[in-house]
Amino acid sequence: MDQLYGYFLYGLSLLTFGGIYAMLTLGLNIQLGFTGLFNAGIAGFFVVGAYVSAILSTAESERHLGGFDWPIPASLVAAMLVSAVIGWAVARISIRLRADYLAIATLGIAEILRLTFKNETDLTNGARGVSYIPKPYENMPEPWNQILMAAVVLAIVAVLYFLLERARKSPWGRVMSAIRENEGSARAAGKDVDRLRVQAFVVGAAMMGLGGGMMAHYLKFIDPNAADPTTATFLVFVMLIVGGSGNNKGAILGAILMWTIWSATEIFTSMLPGDLAIRSAYVRVFLIGLMLQIMLQKFPDGLLPEKRLQSSDSR
Amino acid sequence: MMKTFKQLALASTMLAVAGTAAFAAEIKVGSVAGVTGPIAELVVPIVAGRQLAADQINAAGGLLNGDTLTMVLADSQCDPKAGVDAGTKVVNVEQVVAIVGASCSGATNGMVQSVTIPAGVVAISDSATAPSITDLDDNDLVFRVAASDAYQGSALAQLAWNNGYRTLAMTYANDDYNAGLAGVFEVSFKALGGTITANQMHEPNKASYRSELSTLSGNGAEGLAIFAYYGGSGIAIMRNSLEAGLFEKFLAADGMFDQSVIDQIGADVLRENIMITQAASDYDDPSYLAFANAFEATGHSPQAPYAAHGYDATFLIALAIEKAGSTDRAAISAALREVANPPGVVIRPGEWAKAKAALAAGQDVNYEGAVGQNDFDDNGDVTGLFSVNVVGTDGKWTGDLIR
Repeated sequence: MDQLYGYFLYGLSLLTFGGIYAMLTLGLNIQLGFTGLFNAGIAGFFVVGAYVSAILSTAESERHLGGFDWPIPASLVAAMLVSAVIGWAVARISIRLRADYLAIATLGIAEILRLTFKNETDLTNGARGVSYIPKPYENMPEPWNQILMAAVVLAIVAVLYFLLERARKSPWGRVMSAIRENEGSARAAGKDVDRLRVQAFVVGAAMMGLGGGMMAHYLKFIDPNAADPTTATFLVFVMLIVGGSGNNKGAILGAILMWTIWSATEIFTSMLPGDLAIRSAYVRVFLIGLMLQIMLQKFPDGLLPEKRLQSSDSR
Repeated sequence: MMKTFKQLALASTMLAVAGTAAFAAEIKVGSVAGVTGPIAELVVPIVAGRQLAADQINAAGGLLNGDTLTMVLADSQCDPKAGVDAGTKVVNVEQVVAIVGASCSGATNGMVQSVTIPAGVVAISDSATAPSITDLDDNDLVFRVAASDAYQGSALAQLAWNNGYRTLAMTYANDDYNAGLAGVFEVSFKALGGTITANQMHEPNKASYRSELSTLSGNGAEGLAIFAYYGGSGIAIMRNSLEAGLFEKFLAADGMFDQSVIDQIGADVLRENIMITQAASDYDDPSYLAFANAFEATGHSPQAPYAAHGYDATFLIALAIEKAGSTDRAAISAALREVANPPGVVIRPGEWAKAKAALAAGQDVNYEGAVGQNDFDDNGDVTGLFSVNVVGTDGKWTGDLIR
């Protein structure tokens, strides 16, 4: 009985982690999936959102700036806004770069952001991190605290999904795929391509900031290691590509599925004796790379490929 | 026909024997460590230390009614996300009764705040040294056998002062461990009356530290205090500094404690010129020797950083389970302080049978571990012991306990 209850709680944690990652993959889906912007700087917007929400919502502390004791929803909105503003500034500088050059620029910017938070000790307590971040419903008795936490995350994902589906089917969404498919003809049709690309970048950055903020509240602690590019940028890419770039359902599926694989494989590897258990930890990292290779080779469109819009889909 | 019958009879006897053997249950303890990630090479001996304790206990009668103590490994990657995930897994899926870990202070902070404190599971960290863990609001569920940086930083400052240093320059690698230690050192050294002429943070893994060193030199500093991991930046800083003739005398903490420092810089250059503090054990103490001999037999060096801490943390949890007489998480947490602190029959590493007998007779026990007394204060911290290490005539580190 205890065991079943344990699996239930672990399932909730998989949904919570997966849901938070889904916010990141949905954000990347607008940028990469809809518009074809190769943003390799997810970790940068993640860390901005995480620290903004953390600093605003914690009680006053001498270790870092603030805290300001804001309610969690207000801090999350602020996290989205700050991420959006930084996303706008980044986009203004680098949006005209072609695919791989944009990836290089955003990768660099993400590192700059992460190292800024790591080095501005007065602002963020540097490498020692921010503690005591409030978590939604943490004072409820178990299991309700965990059920409600997962429910909040999934509700936010559902709202984002609904909004993004509306956006995808709207004229705005169609222009975005036109830009992705053939930028020249979109330009020739009189669309302000640069402006629209900036819009997609900013909306995506805001959602990544929201994901970062939720992660900070869920962990109750944030430090610069949490924005390590392996788990905050590349894992998100793998999730979106496995799920199906351009498909919002695929983005959510990919996030929850890949997080489950990433996390649950350890239950089996830890059963191995001694040294093998230690070595197999590296095999898990290798498996993620292998998965990406197989998906890219065999199913380049992901598990749920993008559905092309028909004229009957218009509203 | 008869032959088949005999085989059947034999098989059923074997099943019956296997059945009684399986009657003794398995008690799981989480072993959370940064297996992958930035401190991966430090973690292997730490996990081996934890496993040695479990193996010795199982060989000497096991827990409670002969139950097996199983360590369930989970990877915290030195990342709070992975720390929370690892904690959730061992607490819920593996149903562990207590946890040893997590390794890095950041992962530990995330794991205990988000998972183990709400779940009421006791966690003993064997290597998280950040001062921020001391004052967590933890319902007496977070302990550590590794001393807070607050203690080592002030020990090093006192050591520098006693050895005649009055003005020092200092540099630290920007990670949670070294930044914390450097902060305490600066405050303590100034409080003693010393002067810090310059304090420069640096990023690890750079090819050259000449620009940082030129900022640090001058102003009459008598030496340089380095807070860094030897492989990340420590050796490079010492080499750059000696090449340019900027600093000749160095002070450092346990991130620099490795033979490769002497091998790469040169014993003759360093002799008389370097002092390193290290979280240490009293190497003449019977408790340490009991651990060291057993650990050496497993093919690991007993001086590997925090390996002895991993052993002690695991042994303490086992004692708490035995004292509580059950696998109830709350009872274990309540019993932990009683088995670690005096009064009671002194139990040393490896003395599981003695401890089991004493507890069965209703006596108190007091664990004196490989790393020292392991007496927990009100915050669940230990004071710890430190050694000062210098280069010996044989070109190896020789350590003396600071008393």
